[in-house]
Amino acid sequence: MKRRSIKMQMICLLMIVAGSLLVACGRQVAELPAVEMRVVKDDLGREVRLPVKVTRAVSLAPSITEMVFAAGAGDRLVGVTSYCDFPAAAKNIQKVGDTQSPNIEAIIAVRPEVIFVSTASQLESFASALEGQSAAVFVLDIRGLGDVADRLRRLGQIFGSGERAELAAIEFENRIAAVERRQKAERPVRVLLQISEADLFTIGRDSFITELIDRAGGISVTADIPGGYPKLSKETAIALDPDVIILSDSPDNLKPNDALKNSAAVRSGRVYRVNADILSRPGPRLADALEQLATLFRQEPAGN
Amino acid sequence: MKRANYIFILLIAGLAAALAVALLVGSERVSVFEMTEQGRAILIDIRIPRVLLGACVGASLALAGASLQALLRNPLAEPYLLGVSNGAALGTLLAFVLLGDVAGARPVLAFAGAGIATFAVYQMAKSRAGMNVERLVLAGVIITTFLSSIIVLLTSLLDAARLRGYTFWLLGDLSQATYNGFYMTLAAAVAGTILLTSQARALNLMMIGERDAFDHGVEIGRVRMIIFGMASVLVGTSVAASGSVGYVGLIVPHIVRLVVGSDNRLVVPMSAFAGAIFVVLADTVARTAIAPRELPVGAITALIGAPLFIFLLRRT
Repeated sequence: MKRRSIKMQMICLLMIVAGSLLVACGRQVAELPAVEMRVVKDDLGREVRLPVKVTRAVSLAPSITEMVFAAGAGDRLVGVTSYCDFPAAAKNIQKVGDTQSPNIEAIIAVRPEVIFVSTASQLESFASALEGQSAAVFVLDIRGLGDVADRLRRLGQIFGSGERAELAAIEFENRIAAVERRQKAERPVRVLLQISEADLFTIGRDSFITELIDRAGGISVTADIPGGYPKLSKETAIALDPDVIILSDSPDNLKPNDALKNSAAVRSGRVYRVNADILSRPGPRLADALEQLATLFRQEPAGN
Repeated sequence: MKRANYIFILLIAGLAAALAVALLVGSERVSVFEMTEQGRAILIDIRIPRVLLGACVGASLALAGASLQALLRNPLAEPYLLGVSNGAALGTLLAFVLLGDVAGARPVLAFAGAGIATFAVYQMAKSRAGMNVERLVLAGVIITTFLSSIIVLLTSLLDAARLRGYTFWLLGDLSQATYNGFYMTLAAAVAGTILLTSQARALNLMMIGERDAFDHGVEIGRVRMIIFGMASVLVGTSVAASGSVGYVGLIVPHIVRLVVGSDNRLVVPMSAFAGAIFVVLADTVARTAIAPRELPVGAITALIGAPLFIFLLRRT
């Protein structure tokens, strides 16, 4: 008696499963052309269902746009943010809002199969709003130099452009290695990275730029400060007395803060501007940033 | 009057003590006895102008709050809550966007913004039946939110890098203190203390009722113009130098009234000193709590001010 009821239950269950599968298949056939799907894990460990060959993708961060282009799949991007301006071809792609506030309707309108979101944009809530749509959300968490080559290869797999992605990844790794083979100064130069002049924002412990400076042969004087991009006390800026000041280039950051006017860096003329995009976007151009920083750090003081 | 003298002496001593503490602590240790070149730069270029500016901003905002509360016979009249600070903030932002670094543009437009906001609130709150407490508060809410929306719109249009500094500044931030800013707010605070105290007798009479004040020979229209004008100058110079530091004009006069009663001849000048003490101490917390990082002082004054105000409201 007992056995039979279990059997009956099993049969019922099987019938329900089979039935719903049939319905599901029927629906899929009716609405979509059968697309071969696969499951890929993203950087948050979420299992994301993607078409085996992705043809329509949206990037919600300038760094990701650069990564996708470098991985040889720029032509699959059908939507990017208004900040996505590199490489030049990215400017012609449909804009779907900016990094902080992407426009969900504009995204759906370009019918993407996958939407790439960066952890740096803090769009977690937005990503969950997209979850209900037909497009998959793939989160990329690129924490600096060490992750770029690996993510280029991953993007190559996703887009089926593995060869070009592999070449880009190898080139990136070679450039990093070349910088690290260069002769280092005996004592690393003490560097302050200034993000904005009037309000003295700088980089802290959690910023990948801290590591970038370290690998380029310098040491960030604010490396111990908690957080990614803290606002630094001017008193501390005076006391830190950096040898080199790097200004990330932007209209509100054209010269060192007044508090730094007597620092070793200003007195010896070792104040340099570096393109803010190559510094701040965790993407393939970090190699450019690393090479530039390494060159600047080895430059002799102009002297007085 | 004797008790009042003691309180004045206490307030002056308190301000001296607050200034001394504020000058002695910071994100870096500076030894007064072994002064290095670096220590001198930290003290003279950074800490002293900031502490002095904080004192003047605190005095200005408390003066503006105390006199507006007396004039409008409304305990909730406060530059921040009435939208006057937001008017000044919008003026400062416009000066920055349209005129850039033109000397004096920011405080002048901040004053204009504060004045227009004050006038608008007053016109909205006035009715044939006279000034009514609820109308004034509602008018303040409307002006505040309206101006906030314009500020949000403006900062959204500015590009992200320029916006970053303003989010800090809008909350009230003393980190960009200069001696010029200090001199300007000092001039406003001294003029405000003298001018507003000189109107204190008239304000006392007006608190009883405008009819009675008129019978005692008070030129009501003139007093109103002086208070509104001076409050706009005080708020304008403060906001141009340090953004919208909230709650100072609200809780400081309230505490002073709890101690000395409602005689404006005492409340107005004492609020100036108490306001200076409050902001100097709040900014000391802002400078040191998470050093070498910084907090905006407005976050500290609101953090202390809002619960304290609820407490005061329940007591009275």
